[in-house]
Amino acid sequence: MSKSIKTGKMLEATNKLKNEMGRHFLAIEQAHRDKKPIAWATAGTPVELLYTMGVQPMLPENSATISAALKKSQDFIELAEEEGFSYDLCSYFKTNVGAVLTNADMSVGGTRKPTFMLSSDVICDTHVNWFQVQAERFNVPHFTIDVPHVVSNTTNRQREYYKKYITEQLWELLDFITEITGNEYNPEKGKEIALNSYELGKVWQDIFELRKTIPCPVSTRDTFGGLFPLFTMPGLKSPIRLYKRMHKEAKFRVDNGIGALEKEDYRLAFIGIPFWYNLKFFSNLERWNAIIVYETYVYAFSKYTNPSVTKEMVINNPVDTMAELMLSFWYIYDLKTRFEKLRETVNDWKIDGIIMHDNLSCRPNACGMYDLKRKLMEEADIPSLVITADMNDPRKMNEIQVLNQIESFIEILRERKKG
Amino acid sequence: MAYFDACVETPEEVILAADMIPYRLFGDPTMEITKANEHIPPNHCIWAKNILEQALHGLNNDIKGLITTHGCDCTNREFDIWLECINLDFLYFLNVPLKSNENAINFYIEDIKELIFQLEKKFRVKITTEKIREAIKKMNKIRKYLMELSDLRSEMIIQGSEFHALIKKVQQIDKNRALEILEAKFNEVKTKKPENKNIKKILLTGSDIDDTEFIKFLEDIGFHVIADDLGIGSRYFSSLVDESEEPIKALAKFHLNKPKYSTKFPSFVRYENLKALIDKYDIDGVINVANKFCEPVLYSHPYLTKKFKKLQIPYLFIEMEYNRESYKQLATRFEAFAEII
Repeated sequence: MSKSIKTGKMLEATNKLKNEMGRHFLAIEQAHRDKKPIAWATAGTPVELLYTMGVQPMLPENSATISAALKKSQDFIELAEEEGFSYDLCSYFKTNVGAVLTNADMSVGGTRKPTFMLSSDVICDTHVNWFQVQAERFNVPHFTIDVPHVVSNTTNRQREYYKKYITEQLWELLDFITEITGNEYNPEKGKEIALNSYELGKVWQDIFELRKTIPCPVSTRDTFGGLFPLFTMPGLKSPIRLYKRMHKEAKFRVDNGIGALEKEDYRLAFIGIPFWYNLKFFSNLERWNAIIVYETYVYAFSKYTNPSVTKEMVINNPVDTMAELMLSFWYIYDLKTRFEKLRETVNDWKIDGIIMHDNLSCRPNACGMYDLKRKLMEEADIPSLVITADMNDPRKMNEIQVLNQIESFIEILRERKKG
Repeated sequence: MAYFDACVETPEEVILAADMIPYRLFGDPTMEITKANEHIPPNHCIWAKNILEQALHGLNNDIKGLITTHGCDCTNREFDIWLECINLDFLYFLNVPLKSNENAINFYIEDIKELIFQLEKKFRVKITTEKIREAIKKMNKIRKYLMELSDLRSEMIIQGSEFHALIKKVQQIDKNRALEILEAKFNEVKTKKPENKNIKKILLTGSDIDDTEFIKFLEDIGFHVIADDLGIGSRYFSSLVDESEEPIKALAKFHLNKPKYSTKFPSFVRYENLKALIDKYDIDGVINVANKFCEPVLYSHPYLTKKFKKLQIPYLFIEMEYNRESYKQLATRFEAFAEII
């Protein structure tokens, strides 16, 4: 019998996240003031190489989520639409456009003019198009990393020349940065940053390991916000300390049979990006004693999920290894791999059902979701629910409808448990 | 061998060298979407969904395989659904790169070689360098005819819709037959003189428009599509493949050096090609049509608006459903544009 704590309690350590992110934004502000190089980067790009090259990264996606959390994203999105960008385009992108148009403060999701921009199509074409639009607006250089698309029948031989193509581009990127900033690549610093990044990802994975325990010690209250250092600060030491504190506290909960929920009846996985403007929505699950114990999106950015990538490879060949990692992480898995990984995950994390977010802003993530749902049910007897909403645009979420869907889904899970 | 290609970068010569007929898949705007809705969410590219719908109903029995060529997020991601649901002997995803520098060309060469390897293995054929060379020569002849006919289109000697239907046909039939048809058409029209009609000269851009009825619809309003930068248009024959170079390298360079499409990087360069076409053909107005949810085109539209405004060229942007009813619904907007120019 597990001990109980206040329902949906966040880890104490997670409260320190604000300080960590504050440190990140302060670093951007300082770089801006001191006229040091700043680069905008899209999620999935090797931010570690920016730190190695003495460039301060800034991730506008991260900033867009802040706008949403502060209920500012809709205003920014509508400004972008007034500029001619379609209602159907990515809400992160439009939030950023609106924030730039209004010269918004960083505290509400604004950004600083970068020295250059770094994008990649590894996750979506939108990233490339987004930075093209903004690079043109700011009149700054833009480098993009073209990552070949891995599909369900991609062979190992193909992966080899895919990787070679990416590696060559990463070296081109380093030359590009040198040309702009005058900073040279320092292999020793590269190793140090790579090691820190590796450690950050691994501690995050260790936290996830603890979530296999029943009751689960950590909920989305910790993970959805807690993931930001993985995007913005991979390679720095301070977020490792934060994650270690989170891990220590979660471990204490596990050792003492304490769950993040007072009572845990249903263990769920969540696929997709959450609704940043309505994170409290997830606490609704608690009314059914349901907890999300695994989020593919959140786990994806721990980066070092490919078992063939060892610590030694990361330290000794940080650039080559980064190319390998860009080809293999959760968010871009092909349909076959997504299915296999989910089946394993459901088993390992003892998951009762999966909620999939058909995100109107993220077509690459949503594409294949219906087939994934069908395969999981037909081939692995894993129930899932697809809900439709948007990550940053509150106009596109019908909360009552989604809640009703989830309630019905929980009812199905209840019946299955009765057996 | 069918190919599903949003940007027309499939090296048909390789298919020809495998003794197969390249067959480009097009949408069918008269088809009701039912089955594909079980696989694709409602807000995804309607054109790609339409083609999947056809495949779910069953493609022509002569089609033995499919090459999907890297296009946009929707077409790329849908490949796995094809693998899962469509019963074909051969499915290959051709990773045409986003960029066109030397590294990208070398990468594309590798991927074409892999395609050759897999075709040879699956169909027990030998795709020799010599056969690819022969295919390049044949395709170059086709391209030359299309260039000539396109010039006649721009002189308004043949209708834009007729040219559109012709180029679609060329992408679906035996290439020897295509050559005969093109030669006959060229001989038929080469001595004709342009009719002195007061016609509005249009440059068509945007998503790859594959319904010839749409071009006829524009003509009925009084437009004449005399130039385009589309895959069912001038991107198919923008230049010739270098016959003196190693053939796979020549094919890679040909495809990556084409005028940029919205799916490529940097896609804003597409404007430069459009501007060159405007200058060359003394265009009266530009029509940019985005199939509903065609993200690459939607991202470029505000930039093009700004550039065309600066250029003082009339510009109409239309987001369109993939069915013929929508043409009628949009008629007023096209007519208003015709009034302006």
